[in-house]
Amino acid sequence: MKICTILKQVPDAEASIRTSGDRVDLSGVTFVMDGMDEYGVEEAIRLREGGAQVEIVALALGPKRFEDAIRTSLAIGADRAVHIETDETYDAISQARILAEAVKKEGAELVFVGGKEADWDSAALGPALAEVLGWPHVDWTTKLALSGAAVEATHDTDSGTETVKVALPAVITTQQGLNEPRYPTLPNIMKAKRKELRKAQPADYGAATALTRLTGEAIQVKTRLNKLFSGDAVESATALVNALRNEAKVL
Amino acid sequence: MNFDLTPEQKEIQRLARQFATEQILPRAAEWDRNETYPAEMVQAAADLGLLNIGIPEEYGGLGLGMLEEALIGEELGYACMGFDTIILASDLAVVPLKLAGTDEQKKRFFPGLVKGLGAFCLSEADNGSDAAAMKTKAEFVGDEIVVNGTKMWITNGGVCSTYVVLCRTEHAQGHLGTVCVVVPGDAPGVSHNKLHGKMGQRCSYTAEVIFENVRVPKSNMLGGIGDGFKIAMKTLDRTRITVAAGSLGVARRALDESVKYARTRHAFGAPISNLQAIQFKLADMKMGLDTSRLQTHYAAWLVDNDRPHAQASAIAKCRASDVAFSAAAEAIQVHGGYGYMNDFPVEKLLRDVKLNQIYEGTNEIQRVVVARSLLR
Amino acid sequence: MILLVPEHAAGTLRGSARELVTAGRTLQAALGGEIHALLLGPGAAAAAAEIAKYGVQAHHSEDAGYEPFKAQVWTHAAAEAATMLGAKAVLVPASRSGLSYAPRVAVRLNAALLEDVIEVDSDGATVGGKRFTYLSRVTESSRTTALPVVISLKVNVLAPAEAAAAPGAVAAIDLPAAASGVEVLSQAKASTGGVSLDEASVVVTGGRGVGSPEGFTRLVEPLAATVNAAVGATRAVVDAGWRPYADQVGQTGKTVAPNVYIAVGLSGAVQHLSGMNRSKTIVAINKDKDAPIFKVADYGVVGDVNEVVPELVKLLKG
Repeated sequence: MKICTILKQVPDAEASIRTSGDRVDLSGVTFVMDGMDEYGVEEAIRLREGGAQVEIVALALGPKRFEDAIRTSLAIGADRAVHIETDETYDAISQARILAEAVKKEGAELVFVGGKEADWDSAALGPALAEVLGWPHVDWTTKLALSGAAVEATHDTDSGTETVKVALPAVITTQQGLNEPRYPTLPNIMKAKRKELRKAQPADYGAATALTRLTGEAIQVKTRLNKLFSGDAVESATALVNALRNEAKVL
Repeated sequence: MNFDLTPEQKEIQRLARQFATEQILPRAAEWDRNETYPAEMVQAAADLGLLNIGIPEEYGGLGLGMLEEALIGEELGYACMGFDTIILASDLAVVPLKLAGTDEQKKRFFPGLVKGLGAFCLSEADNGSDAAAMKTKAEFVGDEIVVNGTKMWITNGGVCSTYVVLCRTEHAQGHLGTVCVVVPGDAPGVSHNKLHGKMGQRCSYTAEVIFENVRVPKSNMLGGIGDGFKIAMKTLDRTRITVAAGSLGVARRALDESVKYARTRHAFGAPISNLQAIQFKLADMKMGLDTSRLQTHYAAWLVDNDRPHAQASAIAKCRASDVAFSAAAEAIQVHGGYGYMNDFPVEKLLRDVKLNQIYEGTNEIQRVVVARSLLR
Repeated sequence: MILLVPEHAAGTLRGSARELVTAGRTLQAALGGEIHALLLGPGAAAAAAEIAKYGVQAHHSEDAGYEPFKAQVWTHAAAEAATMLGAKAVLVPASRSGLSYAPRVAVRLNAALLEDVIEVDSDGATVGGKRFTYLSRVTESSRTTALPVVISLKVNVLAPAEAAAAPGAVAAIDLPAAASGVEVLSQAKASTGGVSLDEASVVVTGGRGVGSPEGFTRLVEPLAATVNAAVGATRAVVDAGWRPYADQVGQTGKTVAPNVYIAVGLSGAVQHLSGMNRSKTIVAINKDKDAPIFKVADYGVVGDVNEVVPELVKLLKG
């Protein structure tokens, strides 16, 4: 079975975000593989270690710098990678259309997508990709097991959690709790050098036209009151309740 | 000129950074307080392949260079200089083998160093930088060498799998008579006393190592009789770069902690980062850090490209450790009273990095090396 | 026209439904046409009667196949109704379910997607939206290049709509639930004491500083019960197994923006802040006065949670 894991490279969560004009300025920012995507790579490796015959293909759509994230995935254990390199910004829907073509060409039956992107805060790619492919998807997955030609997955819902059975092919979106991603090892980093990293272009997978465009980005930080009470527990608790009831007029 | 790291170097740096910040940094203060030797984390580092990365591929290693060691060293030093010392001191046993070992010796000793620590036994109680004055003796008896003597301040002494021991042969005088002998960690007659009460780098295992009629095959000698001192000096010319790298980590940590604190600490109604007195300290730390990193990577590049590197590595080690020491001192100053307490990590930086100015040749010796090359 | 797909629980509209109407009315001013609503699953007729009070033409299908929620089933219904009615905009709440099927509806309708938006506007030919990005630190504005558009609307942000003078019509729609490749084997309710994290107007979140799972039952849960709040947890807490992953607030968990957010014994890592920094009023209790959480807090108590929280419970009950 072929598994595609979709990768994205995003600013390190610790990096401070600046804007220049009405756009986010990412110059000088440290980029890392999206933490959400690491769960997908790890899960694919675990399926293999669990005895499944799988080939793991890392798939990424984005600028040249994404290479670093791709190499990380190869060092962790992906078998090979396809980098659809572009400086164009595609929205989640048009990304899904391009990536779906790539998934079809690879003949994958299982696709892992990070549950929520740490740059666009978007959870749309997984479901959109599944729809273009005509496959079911399971999002916010915290547990996964192969069961014949199907997977059993536990995932978060609005009211709690749910365990579902889905026939393959399917798209799984990953999140924390699914597994604990491993570190690559130095020997594997060196071995990854010899793994295939194929470059492609969006046009190789059909042209997709963006249906939305970015018009502005701004950092709006809500000013907080920062009123602190300290000292005696009873006194500070009383002061807090007073402030909440009489000043903020909440509770 | 190309300042870009290769994709593999970037990956190695990322791995080292992740390992250091997630596994080492959160535990460093506790190790420091209790003088705990972190055996499990050393094992974890070895399992990730971060240990002794210079062992050539044909002997089971990764065959990586000094630049990769420098990248790893900076990240480990950032998290805990003591931990970094455990790793870099191990390399001190790898390099002599690489420089002077025969194929047979490499085959015999490298596999044990792929996951096991090495230790380099040069200093003695009465001599440090003056290696020629050493007292530990090697006697040739039949096909064996018998080692007798006591080595002092040996990092990894007692927790390593392999010792490389500098000795003098009984009849020869001065440098001419020194030999470099490989002694397995479990050889009969080897014992150690852990040294307590270090000012800093308290998680690294430092010992007095005693060799009492320790017998090893004659084939454990690296090079010939009289080569010992030369091998030791050549080794230090390289490994000094790892001391510089660890110092970079300390300096970067001092800077990061200072920036973080200066932004949040308020005085006179504004963050102290608004004060030029503080800004200049930060700027000086950054200048020192960046320039010493350039020198360190340059020295590493010279080694990796088989160029003469003794002077460059002396400059790197001396400059980077001086820069790191002053960065740590200034970081305490930026933190004020808090900086003097061990609730904040900066006082540990100062205690730790003091050693970087001392070991692998004091900074005074480095200056001598540089001055001599000028006045030759 | 504009199609809303509000959520309901067995016939009772969820709070997000009235926010959908608010956004629908904003778009209607520019796009024209009527506002329609599609209600799905058991109780849909009652919920339809309810939403019609807001001047919305309400359609309902009581087919039991819409419960529990399955993305493909809801995608089919929303897309069919949108096509049937000629919708220029489809609005759904950005609940977990809404975020899960809105992208699929967009793909199926060949429409643009505006995801998890906090504000909408229209010039008649395109629709614009604002949303948070970069771990909720940036507000992004984007526009569609054309119509139709599918919009998921962040919950607890817009003012709920008031009832209209003239109620809309209520009618059943012949829209049976489609087949789905997903079989639900079991379900478990979250432990948030009946109040859902996404919708709660007050959230009490505990961190490592709470001390133990027992600390949650002794401190966090009573405080939450007193103010009718949902209980949340930090990553460290769920990693330690004190609370289920479903309770997690933060980058890898849920994003919440309640009226009042009470942080108990948590320091405020960036990843956590991204899940709650849009809350209207933030209250923090922590013994470390330098904890980052105090920087985003409106009110804070520097003190031991074991002493402060029981005192708060006592005072708030009084």
